[in-house]
Amino acid sequence: MTERTTLLSLSRRRLLITTSAAAAAALLAPEGFTPARAADSPREGGDITFLIDSLGDTWIPNNSAISSFQGHIWGHVTDKLFYVDAEGKVSPWLAERWEQNDAATEFTLHIKSGVTFSDGSPLDAAAVVANLDIWYSGRKNEGINPIGLFPKTYDHAQAVNATTVRVFFKKPTLGFIPTLGYHGSILISPKSIAQPASEQADLSKTSGSGPYVVDSWKEGDFVKLVKRKDYNWGPAAVGHTGPAFLDSITYKLVSEPSLRVASVQSGQADVAYNASPQELKSLKEEGFTIATPRYLGFVNGWAINTKLAPFDDLKVRQALQAGINRQEIIDTVYTSDWQLAKSFIQSNVPGATDHSALLAYDPGKAEKLLDEAGWLKGADGIRAKDGKPLTIALHSNPYLATSKSIDELIAQQLGKIGWKVDIRAYDVVTFGEKVKYGGPAVPAYEVTRSFIDAGTVAGILTNANNGENWFALDDRDAKLNDLRDRIAGAASIDVRKPVLDELQEYVLEQGYFIPRTQIVQRIYVQSPSLKGEVYNGVAYASYYTAFVSD
Amino acid sequence: MSNTYLTYAAKRLSQALVVILLAYVFTFVVVSILPGDPITSVLRNPQNGFTEEEIAEIIAAQGLDKPVLVQLWNALSAFLTGDLGMSMRSNRPVSSLIAEVLPSTLILASAGLAVALVLAMAVAYGSRFIPRRYGQGLLRGFPSLFLSVPNFVIGLVLIHVFGFQLGLFRVINPDSFWATLFAAIALGIPVSAQIAEVLIANLDKEAEQEYATVASSRGIGQARLFAKHLLKPASLPVVTVIALTIGELLGGSLITETVFGRTGVGSLVQRSVSTQDLPVLQAVVSLGAVVFVLVNLIADLLYPLLDPRVKLLGRPKRRPTAADDPSLDTKAVTS
Repeated sequence: MTERTTLLSLSRRRLLITTSAAAAAALLAPEGFTPARAADSPREGGDITFLIDSLGDTWIPNNSAISSFQGHIWGHVTDKLFYVDAEGKVSPWLAERWEQNDAATEFTLHIKSGVTFSDGSPLDAAAVVANLDIWYSGRKNEGINPIGLFPKTYDHAQAVNATTVRVFFKKPTLGFIPTLGYHGSILISPKSIAQPASEQADLSKTSGSGPYVVDSWKEGDFVKLVKRKDYNWGPAAVGHTGPAFLDSITYKLVSEPSLRVASVQSGQADVAYNASPQELKSLKEEGFTIATPRYLGFVNGWAINTKLAPFDDLKVRQALQAGINRQEIIDTVYTSDWQLAKSFIQSNVPGATDHSALLAYDPGKAEKLLDEAGWLKGADGIRAKDGKPLTIALHSNPYLATSKSIDELIAQQLGKIGWKVDIRAYDVVTFGEKVKYGGPAVPAYEVTRSFIDAGTVAGILTNANNGENWFALDDRDAKLNDLRDRIAGAASIDVRKPVLDELQEYVLEQGYFIPRTQIVQRIYVQSPSLKGEVYNGVAYASYYTAFVSD
Repeated sequence: MSNTYLTYAAKRLSQALVVILLAYVFTFVVVSILPGDPITSVLRNPQNGFTEEEIAEIIAAQGLDKPVLVQLWNALSAFLTGDLGMSMRSNRPVSSLIAEVLPSTLILASAGLAVALVLAMAVAYGSRFIPRRYGQGLLRGFPSLFLSVPNFVIGLVLIHVFGFQLGLFRVINPDSFWATLFAAIALGIPVSAQIAEVLIANLDKEAEQEYATVASSRGIGQARLFAKHLLKPASLPVVTVIALTIGELLGGSLITETVFGRTGVGSLVQRSVSTQDLPVLQAVVSLGAVVFVLVNLIADLLYPLLDPRVKLLGRPKRRPTAADDPSLDTKAVTS
């Protein structure tokens, strides 16, 4: 508590010395409609309020970091071993460099020295090993989960000396280094890790090494972060390594979307998260900063259940691929901030290649394919074969607000070529229960999922190695199996790249995956006086480099 | 205090305890038969990427693979010893979650009730004493109007006008005086409708009584007549209505808290329902039952003290006559 008082009084003094009354006025007065004048160099001080629609479920680091909401806070309170930028480029952070063997089964990490957690303990090799172990195994009997996307091939790690860690895998694991920059892989103090789950769930009892520390918080209400003055190990990739500029960041939960935006419009807050796409144009015209960063992962689209008739027929799947007007989705449901899908992975993922030609809208081709497959148009305009109508049931993804609107639009598009579409909208719990990849009544499973490394795709295509078997192909497609094995076993990016390109073409051409649009899952509406924020590979805004301009 | 009264009180108290226990069991059953289970719905979030085996392992570790009856027994026996369990969602003790949110809701609910009472009193007074040409009839329509406008619409209008336009309060600081006042107004308006209705009806009735006619024929002022002679007898049934509106206050606070960005029991319920956080839901429902039962218990225990004509244990002290207002003793008789 005493420490906090000093922090506050220091920052107040500094505010008085270094900033003019005008700056204070900029913070207090509800302006923000006038575009900021020049002064784009970072300035010390300032407090911002970020309005968010949820603060997620729990603060146990392993259980929560993956969710889109807590990630905002962890991004400021904790650091990672590597930094992954919006283009998927991996660069050193707390791990200054690494070596790996030719088979990609052994990695040596060299840790930056002098880094401490906010509880005073050092971030050394032992701390990294403690983190790797809990990411891999969690403590399930206590309710601490493993991190879902951490390589399941992990064997063990050992601290060679204070700054060197060796990590061993049972199989080649090219994705290991990028995974360390993933939003789940946040470094937590070993003291915090040793705490029981109920203590870890108390955000104020968990220490990271990030540029901010938790000042106060209330469950489901707010989290206030204040900056750490001795912070000096920011990622080189963001062009700043010292303490943050802003004194504090307050995340406040406001569940009504219109209130979040109106609060920023009236100058009562600085950032509103997740506004509706339709509002963005007018907000931009009012001078607000709109950010719609894409994240690394799969595009929004469907994994097709190839076991379910008529989707066991290649021609029907290809007709579906050609029968969707993707440009119309962007024009109608979204804005120009959204982009056309070019593959089934987002185009900013390293290794993603452009297959737009396979995704072109061609209703004539779709009709021809359906005719060839024996689905003929009846008097009512609906196609049928052996007396059965051509239908597809779509289960709108409850995790994506715009999903149902897109389904409705697609229903119209497919309707024109004689396809009947049923739309089923469930809440999150029911969706989780009823809608599964390859589920008996689920012809098309809508995907939104992020990942850091494109190698992840190998694990999901078929049922091999506990795979998720997205297309219910099991092991039936020999060519896909071959591509999968070559991607999973690749020991270098150069070897993997052409195979990945081949895989993308094959999956799209076979109609296994039907992309809709590239996905923007996070929308930021920001006051024009707040500048300098950075978006990482999973589209989280970091205000570590941000400042309030005059 | 008579023996009869004490027996009556003891009987009512034990009934109250049974109601609370039943509410607990009922919530458990309802949530258990809902499709889906809370843990898997979180774990199956595609972002997590857990395998089915991992999910099964985690579920077993939480004891959620046990039969429902075993789970109920475990929860119930813990509840009886005062242990509210751990929240599945946040992994924090349910008791501390509730302790965090309770004060905010209590403040909002009591402020809402105060607003409702003042408003009801004003409407009732106006509807009786404002001359017809100045809108007496219009005032009589207010309760139906109040009831028909949804709580959240009132809230949003108040926020936009007084929060954003006039800048009286900030949504990001919902516990400030002004923010609380406007939230209480949003909450109190619909609640005031029922109280006003009952008050108006009883004022009309009392005003026709001989004593009132006599009083006004003596030239007593309207305000004095209202305050000294009419209000007290007309308010007695209002006690019952207030006890009944507690449910509405609690329910309304859920919406009001969401709209005003307040963190209270309502927002806790909302989060717990959406994630099917069973231990929290049970604790909150039981808490709601406790409050509801307690308030009604107080009303029931007060009634015989306020009005000696009210029957105790079905044995009337005095046979009620046709002149007796049936609404007077409905609570005591039916409970």
